[in-house]
Amino acid sequence: MDIAEILSYGFMQRALLAGSLIAVLCAVLGCFLVLRRLSLIGDGLAHVTFGSVALALLLKFYAASALFVSLPVVMLCSLGILKLTERARVTGDAAIGIVSSLGIAIGVILASLGGGFTADLFSYLFGNILAISRAEVLLAVVLCATVLLLVTFFYHELVAITFNEELARISGIRTGRISSLLVLLTALTVVLAMKLVGIMLISALLILPSSAALQLARGFRTTLLLAALLGVIAVIGGTFASVMLNIPTGATIVLLNFMIFGLACFGKRLLAQE
Amino acid sequence: MTAFRWRVMLLLAAACLVFFTGCSRETTSGPAATNRLQVVTTLFPLYDFARAIAGNRAEVRLLLPPGSEPHTFEPKPEDILAINRAALFVYTNRFMEPWAEDLVKGVPRDRLTVVDASTGLVLLDAAAGHDHGHGAMEEGHHDEPSGKDPHIWLDLTNAQAMVDTILAGFVARDPANRDYYAANAAAYKGKLADLDRRYKATLGTCKNRTLLHAGHAAFAYLARRYGITYVSATGVAADAQTTPSRMAELVKRVRALKLQYNFSEELVSPRVAETIATETGARILRLHAAHNISKDDLAAGVTFLDLMEKNLAALATGLQCRQ
Repeated sequence: MDIAEILSYGFMQRALLAGSLIAVLCAVLGCFLVLRRLSLIGDGLAHVTFGSVALALLLKFYAASALFVSLPVVMLCSLGILKLTERARVTGDAAIGIVSSLGIAIGVILASLGGGFTADLFSYLFGNILAISRAEVLLAVVLCATVLLLVTFFYHELVAITFNEELARISGIRTGRISSLLVLLTALTVVLAMKLVGIMLISALLILPSSAALQLARGFRTTLLLAALLGVIAVIGGTFASVMLNIPTGATIVLLNFMIFGLACFGKRLLAQE
Repeated sequence: MTAFRWRVMLLLAAACLVFFTGCSRETTSGPAATNRLQVVTTLFPLYDFARAIAGNRAEVRLLLPPGSEPHTFEPKPEDILAINRAALFVYTNRFMEPWAEDLVKGVPRDRLTVVDASTGLVLLDAAAGHDHGHGAMEEGHHDEPSGKDPHIWLDLTNAQAMVDTILAGFVARDPANRDYYAANAAAYKGKLADLDRRYKATLGTCKNRTLLHAGHAAFAYLARRYGITYVSATGVAADAQTTPSRMAELVKRVRALKLQYNFSEELVSPRVAETIATETGARILRLHAAHNISKDDLAAGVTFLDLMEKNLAALATGLQCRQ
């Protein structure tokens, strides 16, 4: 299919625009999360969302309005993951595993107690990058702006707790609050962006661009910028590749992301040999 | 999304396994709750057919809770108990409920008759349903064992054959009530045949003969029966994802044929239909695939015939037929 022609469709323009915004957002958050060993938090919180929707149904919130129950529940669970890593002797991956399996189990029980659903929830919860509405593009803009603004504002604190939490605490940073901010922003991003582009893409965009950037970049600021750039390249390149190969867009973006990551690992080795 | 669903399913499957092995041991010689014939059906159309045949001389149970896709099914201990107490288990076909055979594997066949409701029917290839000549949509078929379209009940002549198949199961298990069940089945088939005639009459007068469905290809049998061209966004798998070219094609099709409506499936998010609506101005109508019914509809006693009546009304509007 002709690229110029396919670009004339509104759904493609929205996919590229909203997709790029979410890529930037996820890449930036991803750099902090990957370094803090919380890279699977996106996946984990998606499982919690399943549980939260069952709760929403039990409380008679249907379809789209389930978000009003999901959002606070998932945010609370993200804090739960954080508390687990802080208080008890639990590593990040275990904490995510604990909370996500709890989320699913509670979801299964609640759904059973509720005596069934009124709609296929998955279809309402998880979006598709090719079916983003105009209102959702706006949502992506607001979400992206909010998160980037907060990250810029608390940049030094975030970097400090990411690299050396002890040192950060000693130097007077309220590390608990900054960590909470990070996971809350992640929860917000996961729940809202999942509705736009689906969980597979969110999870990949949180981990792959930042992991690739960490292979190449020297300073942390460069890493953030590079990750955002790689994320956007993957979204735009993957979308066009999916047009040319006629395959589903989300999965193509993930694959391209992985190829970029592979190249970054390869590039790092070349740089090291010089 | 697919990966996530698979993980949920695996977890549910594991839970199911634990329940199943746990319960089947305790109930191998459990007595039936009443003397009436106990029937377990998987999906709503089968439940409704069986209910019509059963009248007040058999108890029919719907296995899948309302609103759950066959994919995300999770049996409770009580469900397994019901299967163990039942004499008749009815499922659609192995493409719709690939787990069905496994679920009843542990129950000896002399205690439980298992009915594949698609027996004797010719299943369409999964590819044949949507737009002829577009092999591009095959990506969604990973979870269909060999690419057959399972949505047989949406052709009302198939539905009549399914009633006969289910009736044979009833008669085999409860021969004393043979005539009663046969009379009920005949009456019900009469209603199906009647509705089929009205479908033929109404859909024969349509200005538009293209059913454009922004969802997974569930309505191929219906379209074929009434001579309508069926175009869908994805293949028969419920969680398939569409491609940019396919979306563009759907938009072009709406514009070229000047379609005033595009269709979306009940109980599923109309996200893709909304995208096409934004692009073309074509309004959205809902069709009910009937394999999945909402909790409220089930409680209100809505029947398969009711759902198909609604579908006819939506089709008549959407395809601009004389009504």
